[in-house]
Amino acid sequence: MTARPAFGDFLAAARDHASIAAALRDTGRREAHVREVTGSLLRLVTVMGRYLQDITAVPGDIRSRVPPPLTAWGRARSTARDALTNAAGQLLPHGGGRRAPDVTAGSELARRLDAAAVALTAGRDLLHTHLTRDPRGTRQIRSEWGLVVCSPTAERALLAELAALARQIAPPCADLAQTCRSPDTAAARAGLHQACGWLTVLSAGVQAAQRHVPVSAAERDLLHAIPLNAPLPRPVLDGSEPVARLYDAVITSAERARHAAWMLGTQPAWSPHLTANSLRQIAATSTVTSHHCQLLFRSLAARTARGGTPGLSAGLLRAAEAAGCARAGWLHVARALNQVDTDTMRHLSPTAGEAADLALCTGRLAYADPAWTLSSGPGHQPRTSQDLAPHPGDIPLALAAAHHACDTVTSLAYAERERIRTAASAGRLLVPTRSLPATMDIPRPFAPAPHPRVYALLCLYQDAAAAAAEASAQAGEAAAAIQAPSCVLTTARAAAYPGLDASAARQRAAPGPDIAGQPAEPAGAVQDLLHRLGITNPDLLGRAADVDRASEQLIIEAARQGSTRLEPPSPITPDRSAASPALTHGTRAHGDPHAAILPHDPASGRQHESPQAEAEL
Amino acid sequence: MIRITAAQHRVQQASGLAAVLDAVYEAFEAMLSALEAVQDPASGLFAVLVMAAASAANGRNAVALAPSLPGQPLLAVPAGGRPWPGERPERLAGLVAGLSHLVAGRLSQAAACAPESADRAACAHAARCARDICGLLGTSGP
Repeated sequence: MTARPAFGDFLAAARDHASIAAALRDTGRREAHVREVTGSLLRLVTVMGRYLQDITAVPGDIRSRVPPPLTAWGRARSTARDALTNAAGQLLPHGGGRRAPDVTAGSELARRLDAAAVALTAGRDLLHTHLTRDPRGTRQIRSEWGLVVCSPTAERALLAELAALARQIAPPCADLAQTCRSPDTAAARAGLHQACGWLTVLSAGVQAAQRHVPVSAAERDLLHAIPLNAPLPRPVLDGSEPVARLYDAVITSAERARHAAWMLGTQPAWSPHLTANSLRQIAATSTVTSHHCQLLFRSLAARTARGGTPGLSAGLLRAAEAAGCARAGWLHVARALNQVDTDTMRHLSPTAGEAADLALCTGRLAYADPAWTLSSGPGHQPRTSQDLAPHPGDIPLALAAAHHACDTVTSLAYAERERIRTAASAGRLLVPTRSLPATMDIPRPFAPAPHPRVYALLCLYQDAAAAAAEASAQAGEAAAAIQAPSCVLTTARAAAYPGLDASAARQRAAPGPDIAGQPAEPAGAVQDLLHRLGITNPDLLGRAADVDRASEQLIIEAARQGSTRLEPPSPITPDRSAASPALTHGTRAHGDPHAAILPHDPASGRQHESPQAEAEL
Repeated sequence: MIRITAAQHRVQQASGLAAVLDAVYEAFEAMLSALEAVQDPASGLFAVLVMAAASAANGRNAVALAPSLPGQPLLAVPAGGRPWPGERPERLAGLVAGLSHLVAGRLSQAAACAPESADRAACAHAARCARDICGLLGTSGP
């Protein structure tokens, strides 16, 4: 759909080269030089080994002393790693030295192995665009796809692909080792033959795991669909686009906005992008986008009802209803945001721009007017269902566009909810003093948002996120029914957030107790470690929190028994500077009605001073 | 409806920077309240009403930054400010557009003659927000 290289492109290229190598006739194989093929196979095995290293490496690079219980795929991974290590050990002494990259191999077999190795290397580079390392060398995730790359689902699919590749390349290489009779290459032939044997071991190990827990076609598709983590060009619409071009524009803008939403999570609490104007624009445009999704699903339901697929039509109507709920949820958020502010103003974040683009693109697709904009008034009719999908083959594409849009507003809701939580924790979420009771004598234009108001706002985000997730799930079911290209979104969500469906999303979205007027309970050491490992499974995080609480209780009890005079660490006031931004930012604690602060002027880079203070300056 | 009309009257009658800012603040509040009351998805104006409400909130908060804005409202907000059920969004959008046009003009004047730079900056920013509302609701600002 979008012109971005995907991992599957490189995997397919490697498999193609391996297929050609496997299909070489006897004469083609006999022409090959044993040492040359040994060197080429060593390259390929080395790259495959690096994939295995990636799989066994945990984000954060922290390993437990206690080996985890081996599952079928855990055994397959271990077997594959050992097999590749042994294969490389057999090939290494006979590789004939490194061939320069610009020197083409003499034989077709070696050339194909080289080409497969190059394709696999490029594919691995592509996967690594979703990951990075922080200054301490810890692996970090750079995109939402990074969660997929590190997921067990993708790892299983990758192992299956590597095993298939091993099955293809082992026979021609083993055949060469057996048929070549040159006495001076006896040791090399023996090494090559044994290496091929290890490749067969790898393949058998993965096949055994497949029998226990098979890799589904959807999971393979997910692996193939992992795209390059590179910015997509912004879709520019001039009104002359055919509807097929609008599908692409919606998907592109959705992917851009989704990535921007992910990047929000990497921004610190003091980020200048965290402004009320941005929050409001994102909420307003997401309301509009959800509205457009409802129009699109309804139109597609009408289109498919005529096509004799009532089941699909009913599914699309359910998606339309859910999108309407998402619109209502976002509208409540937008109204609540109209009553708050932040300590930086005016600036619009890139995410706000992307969200507006998505609203525009979905509007161009939803309405008949090719020049529709966010400021278009009434009198704009929705696009007819026939015009939305002129040909039956267009229905999956149109559905994919709406599905992508729903998925993105879900991501935006989660990301924005966390931004509100961050802003409130840092004391950056404000309300106009005039909106507070007159009994609160605050000599400043803005005051920190009262806890109940912040809590209410978080609850509204929670509802919007859950409703948007439900709409996305309904769209995903419809997409699966007609094999729409957006099916991969559902698989990706399941892989990135295992155990998280729409109902679980509600739990995930639940605001923490810190905003409810109670002290915060920040992540403890174990939970924090899981966060850094990229773990998002609510069950695991909950268990980690239990471990943290138990360890704190243990320390407190131990301190009491030891009659120590030291204050035991409080479970609610850990020594985490991030949890006490009020101190670091020089503002007062929450709940203090006199803690009114003035918005920050981004132009001057300093806090606004009161008129009196300015006069003193 | 009453609140919009009252706000329009106050903005027209306001004299002096503090009174203008106070009247404009209330006008943005009135616009926000009116716009939110008619945000009906069935209306063709749904998108512009949602976007205009965000601009009204931006404008109100920009005015709140003006040092010359009185700490408390100078006049009480009139009762019965919310539009009655069945109010046509198109008609109300027209009223809000007219009010935002007026507000943008008064703020532009205030920005030109306010003695304090912070007042001028606040007025200029709020005037831009008012013009945004004009643009969204179909009339051009000054």
